Amino acid sequence: MNDIGEFTLLVALATAIYGCIAYVMSARGNRIDLYLSADKTPFIVWACITISSICLWRAFLTDDFSLQYVWAYSNRELDTFYKVSSFWGGQKGSLLFWTLLLSTYMLVVYFQNRSKNLRVVPYAMAVMLVIVVFFLFLINFSTNPFERIPLPPEDGRGLNPLLQNYWMVIHPPTLYLGYVGFTVPFAFAVAALISKDLDDGWIRMTRKWTLISWFFLCMGNLFGASWAYVELGWGGYWAWDPVENAAFMPLLIATAFLHSVMIQEKKDMMKVWNMSLILLTFAMTIFGTFITRSGLIQSVHTFDEATLGYYFLAFLFVIIAACAALIIARLPLLKSANELDSFLSRESSFLFNNLLLLGIAFATFWGTIFPIISEAVRGVKITVGPPFYNQVNVPIGLALLALIGIGPVIAWRRATFSNLKKNFLKPVLAGLVAAIALFPVIPLGNRAEIYTYITFVLCVFVLVSILTEFYKVTVSRMGLHEESVVGALATATWRNKRRYGGYIVHIGMVLIFAGIAGSQAYGTHTEKHLQLGESFEIRGYTITYEKLVAVEATSIKTRIIAQLAVERDGKRYWTGHPEKEFYKGQNQPVSEVDVLSTWKEDLYMILADFREDESATIKVYVNPMVSWIWTGGWIIAFGTMISMWPDRLEQRRRLDRVRKQEQLFPSPAQE
Amino acid sequence: MGFIHFLELILIVAILLVIGIPLFGKLKLKKLVEPVDPAIDEFKHLLVRKEETLISIKELEFDFNTEKISEPDYKELLHRLETEATGILEHLDQLEQESKKGKPHKSH
Repeated sequence: MNDIGEFTLLVALATAIYGCIAYVMSARGNRIDLYLSADKTPFIVWACITISSICLWRAFLTDDFSLQYVWAYSNRELDTFYKVSSFWGGQKGSLLFWTLLLSTYMLVVYFQNRSKNLRVVPYAMAVMLVIVVFFLFLINFSTNPFERIPLPPEDGRGLNPLLQNYWMVIHPPTLYLGYVGFTVPFAFAVAALISKDLDDGWIRMTRKWTLISWFFLCMGNLFGASWAYVELGWGGYWAWDPVENAAFMPLLIATAFLHSVMIQEKKDMMKVWNMSLILLTFAMTIFGTFITRSGLIQSVHTFDEATLGYYFLAFLFVIIAACAALIIARLPLLKSANELDSFLSRESSFLFNNLLLLGIAFATFWGTIFPIISEAVRGVKITVGPPFYNQVNVPIGLALLALIGIGPVIAWRRATFSNLKKNFLKPVLAGLVAAIALFPVIPLGNRAEIYTYITFVLCVFVLVSILTEFYKVTVSRMGLHEESVVGALATATWRNKRRYGGYIVHIGMVLIFAGIAGSQAYGTHTEKHLQLGESFEIRGYTITYEKLVAVEATSIKTRIIAQLAVERDGKRYWTGHPEKEFYKGQNQPVSEVDVLSTWKEDLYMILADFREDESATIKVYVNPMVSWIWTGGWIIAFGTMISMWPDRLEQRRRLDRVRKQEQLFPSPAQE
Repeated sequence: MGFIHFLELILIVAILLVIGIPLFGKLKLKKLVEPVDPAIDEFKHLLVRKEETLISIKELEFDFNTEKISEPDYKELLHRLETEATGILEHLDQLEQESKKGKPHKSH
């Protein structure tokens, strides 16, 4: 089976190279025979990569330690669940997994678009195949997951214990689905540039893809934060680590893109800007893989055998240079005849939102690459820590939060100042009430606390601004159609999924902002060395160390579990069980924290150390409002689902367009 | 030759056949796309612009009904959008008339 896996990877590479060449030649030479031949390659490439992936999964599930990769990331005792996820536990498998997702996306695009716009689609398929070729080249010739060990050992080294967590099973695939997904709009953008078909057709063809990719990237970031929170045992969820930043930057640029394409669709302008944004988003996804696989930047998230950085860097430069050249060459065609009607309009608020998002992305990028630059210039690697990011990004983030509230109140095209005052009245009043109500109860002793206070006030302002929109449209429908409150609200949302789905996403963002602000400013922690029966207090909780238990979980894993009684107001409230896990063959034990999560705060417990006399060092964090972040994530997921849901009205309009076009120009109408 | 090598050979032959047949078979059509007809492109573009302008008119009405825009601004913008929509419709009609009259244009 391993031979087949290795062989199909080579066949996939050869077929993908042929596919690229044949697609481009068919489009340039206008040859249908070449197109029909090239048209078979996406399926063949996908089938070969799928067979290869199945072979690797089989090797993991059957403990085939003749493969170096399986030996390095699995062992006989590993749960089947984690044997499946070990596939992407290391660099080699993760690249194959990336390629599998990419070829699967490519196949879906192929089935969706093969009979549509034949001026653009061949080029789009060729671009996707070029990217597949790059990854297949690396897998075949630099980091082959089917590399053999001449004398297979009895057992494997095992998966890094930090990766043996359910969040780590779903976090990488989710993130990859986001990263890889942006290949589709990128490919169509490049295809539109090459074919000079530069109206907003490529945006309409890839709108859903952009949303899906954004959704997965957003969820991937949140799942990664959840993993860091429960697995790394340092009490936090985000550390501005280079790899976290690498996943965050494309999300920021993609968010800017999602907003600015609306202006292109509405007003047929900002074509260069949108092209640049999607190209930058894709470049950032490649930059992310460069960070994790270069070995140039140290992070808990980078791969052990990170050796591929220069390949990715070269690929990144080629992409940026080629795209920049294409955009410059097509500049005359990308110029728009329209301009903004007014500075005071929703369009201009979207422009500001774009600038702020790019501002955060740039600051994050600068902080991420600073160690590389400082080492290159001065020979000393200077790492930029959270204070830099917080100092720069927090004020910009607050401005962004304010814009989320301003956007819905401003009219498209032109807002009238007097009406704006009237519409802002309720949200601003709500914000002022919040400011007055919170002032006496919230400490304002340092900059972080002041920022948090401003964040809470802005959150109220934004929430009221969005809820007022829902209220207005509900009341309007109730008056016109005699519907119930729920009926009117549901129908209004369903009739304009994009707008109201977007507002729901914004509500999720508000919760995330509030959660981050609350947990960053008002958290507290303490560390105590305790004998059995001893207690200590933190924020009204009395914590008593009751016992220490050792459990042989498996032949390779031993768990040392501390039992901690938590009392509040003299009553037993909860029992915490933080633990340390020892894995055979691993030098460092792994902390498994225990968290009591409530809407108000998280009680987060770590067994930091223990001794033979059963005394233990216990670390406890009280992190306010962390659950708001995760709740915000689920609300974002719900809002995105609504936005993505197929719109019958839009489909009807599209079919109507095609029909009219066919009536007038009787030929295969192409959308 | 082992079984695995035999399978590999079968796979290569199958792939070569699948991608090779269109190259050597007889096809009714020779060209992938007909030369670009500016009229079709313009028609397609105008249909999209028509839709967007009509949606903008609807949104303007919604913004006016929810008091986001004053009456004078509403009237001015509505007039501008209606003029834009009328222009697009006239242009579409013109293209339609030319097409029906059989005015020579390169068919797609």
